[in-house]
Amino acid sequence: MKRLLQWTAVVAGLAILGGLLAPAPALAAKEIKIGAIYPLTGGAAAAGRELRAGAELAAQLCNEARSDIDMTMAKAAGIQSMGGAKITLIFKDHEGNPTLGADLAKKLILDDKVDGILGCYHSSVTKTVSAVCEQYGVPMINGSSTSPGLTERGFKWFWRTTPHDRWFTKDLFDFLVGLSEGKVRGVKAVPREDINVIASACENSEWGSYVSKVIQEMAAEYDFKLRKSLLYSDKSPDLSSEVRSLRASKASVLLFASYTSDAILMVKTLKTQKVQPRIIWGQDAGFDKPEFRSTLGDAIEGILTRSVFLPQVVQIKPVAGQVNSLYKAKTGNDLGGASARAFTGLQTWIHVLEMAGSSEPAAVQKAANAIEIPGQELVVPWAGVKFANTGSEMGQNIMGSGLIGQYQKGADGQMGVEIVYPFDVASAEMIYPFPQW
Amino acid sequence: MEILASSIVAGLLFGMVLALVALGLTIIFGVMDIINFAHGEFLMYGMYTALLASQVLGVDPLLTLPLAALVGFLLGIACYKGFITYILRGPMIAQLLGTFGLMLLLRNIALLVFGSEDRAVHHGVLVDKSFEMGMGIIVPATKLAAAGLSVVAFVAVWLLMNRTRMGKALTATALNPQGARYMGISTEKMNALAWGIGGASVTVAGALIVNFWPVNPYVGLLFTMIAFTIVALGGFGSVPGAFFAALVVGLITEIPGFWDFLTYTLELDWMYDVPMTSFKYMWIYVAYFIIMVVRPRGLFGWKH
Repeated sequence: MKRLLQWTAVVAGLAILGGLLAPAPALAAKEIKIGAIYPLTGGAAAAGRELRAGAELAAQLCNEARSDIDMTMAKAAGIQSMGGAKITLIFKDHEGNPTLGADLAKKLILDDKVDGILGCYHSSVTKTVSAVCEQYGVPMINGSSTSPGLTERGFKWFWRTTPHDRWFTKDLFDFLVGLSEGKVRGVKAVPREDINVIASACENSEWGSYVSKVIQEMAAEYDFKLRKSLLYSDKSPDLSSEVRSLRASKASVLLFASYTSDAILMVKTLKTQKVQPRIIWGQDAGFDKPEFRSTLGDAIEGILTRSVFLPQVVQIKPVAGQVNSLYKAKTGNDLGGASARAFTGLQTWIHVLEMAGSSEPAAVQKAANAIEIPGQELVVPWAGVKFANTGSEMGQNIMGSGLIGQYQKGADGQMGVEIVYPFDVASAEMIYPFPQW
Repeated sequence: MEILASSIVAGLLFGMVLALVALGLTIIFGVMDIINFAHGEFLMYGMYTALLASQVLGVDPLLTLPLAALVGFLLGIACYKGFITYILRGPMIAQLLGTFGLMLLLRNIALLVFGSEDRAVHHGVLVDKSFEMGMGIIVPATKLAAAGLSVVAFVAVWLLMNRTRMGKALTATALNPQGARYMGISTEKMNALAWGIGGASVTVAGALIVNFWPVNPYVGLLFTMIAFTIVALGGFGSVPGAFFAALVVGLITEIPGFWDFLTYTLELDWMYDVPMTSFKYMWIYVAYFIIMVVRPRGLFGWKH
């Protein structure tokens, strides 16, 4: 009897000890750490603030239960398949520097032990950071880098939600052809020779130089005459010789791929040099930033910008309106291309984790390759998110699409962006040709 | 033709501003045989002074020039008294590395105080305005004003150096410090004065440049390199040499424009594809290299 009692005590003691030592996964909700690497200082700091706010808002909607937002991730608090696990974002600042980005990625993976990476805006930084993730087998979802080359590397741990520049540039040339065929709302068919000569100026890192290359290819394919295609550094403090070169080319269509401060400088210099093309088009990024609008004021009326998100989307998609009002309350600005895509990037992470039911890299990888998020979940006007997992564009979302907007002054005197392409969703008559400065 | 004319005008105007940038470097070198690597950082402080003063006081950046000059003068003297006098006792290499350290110090202080973001002047009497000068030459008002005021400042310093007793004392110190001391000139004071004038002229240049060039704490290096090229081309220590060399360097920065002119005149397909604008500052360094190899004392140099 005594021995029995002794044994019972031992077993009970062991059980208690065991209970203390063993982790309690079912009790405490796990925390999912996502490292978000963005340009929070430097020339693209303005974009960085938007990206950060967009990602933070998505995390907030996941972590809190919100019945007022028509999104699956907002319905309950945390990730349901992981016992309500909460998303924690760890922000790092890459300053637009690819080497620094790669170092930060290593730190996040080795020191902070993140479950995955989100970022990085600059394609050049996304390139090095994704290489680090590939090396360590850590999943990375990219929401806003559009260099086509990023998904042509056959990476197994890299997924991109945004459409890339080949699609966007094709949109542009379809738009130009449509302009000459009279398909643009409010503009009679423009003689082809009026818009046949084009010139481009793109920033010279991974993103801009690839855009420049794609413009060259597409111009040849669509039979436009590309008279000048120049590359410049986005840190250039002075773009006057570039602008003189564009002016000398006598091109009637000017195409740009610029980040924020250089986009502002470019337009200011175009204005002071009185360059007078018929069309000015910017490949999103700098041309789509609130700073671009607030700094340049009325001068930008008539400029076209490729985008993935324009305020008019809010009228087409109610869910975008709901998120936009939260975003506006948080930052004072409307959702833009950067913030909407950072939001969508993290939202995709949340859906992938929900489907994986675990933050184990292998489970995440399997889920990401199988995920299919329907368009009505998203703030961006895409058909959905579904990644290619075979072929030449591994990890690319194949359900995205782009918009072309034009800066126009509304009836209230405020500068806004109206959709001019796709033609069937045009929200206003296009201003053509580009007005006198 | 249009591109040729406008490139020449733009090059000359920029050259005039660069002359003022290089002036301080050549004065300091002329008087003390010290290469000031922190020269561009002085310029950067001039840019911040004008930018912040115009924002705080709500006046046009061009009206802040006297303040920028004062800041530069005091900064120059403070650097001399607090730092340069000590490293002068060391070997040549200590002086080189010393001003390099000063550059890093000034830059990082700016980073700490102002942050790394670009800041630019967006509002001002002349900002975003331009003049048509005929032949398709369009000159931004800010650059025209900067060039004109640079020439005025340059001439003022030149007169100060050549037409006043103080200037003669400075020149005497430059030519022969020991002889100058025998004549009762306080070379110590003259050295400090050289730093003061050098600092003031470059901060004024910065205050002019900020009207059309955004500022961040890293902006100085490019101008330091350009100023070195100008001073090397004009001859170390030569004030008129710096002016002419600056015009040449200004024109060198417009090489892409000349290339465009040739391209559109000759209509050769391969010329379109050369990304000239991507290399616009490269030619300055090429020129620097050629001068160093062919004529190390520069065009007008008297020190070596």
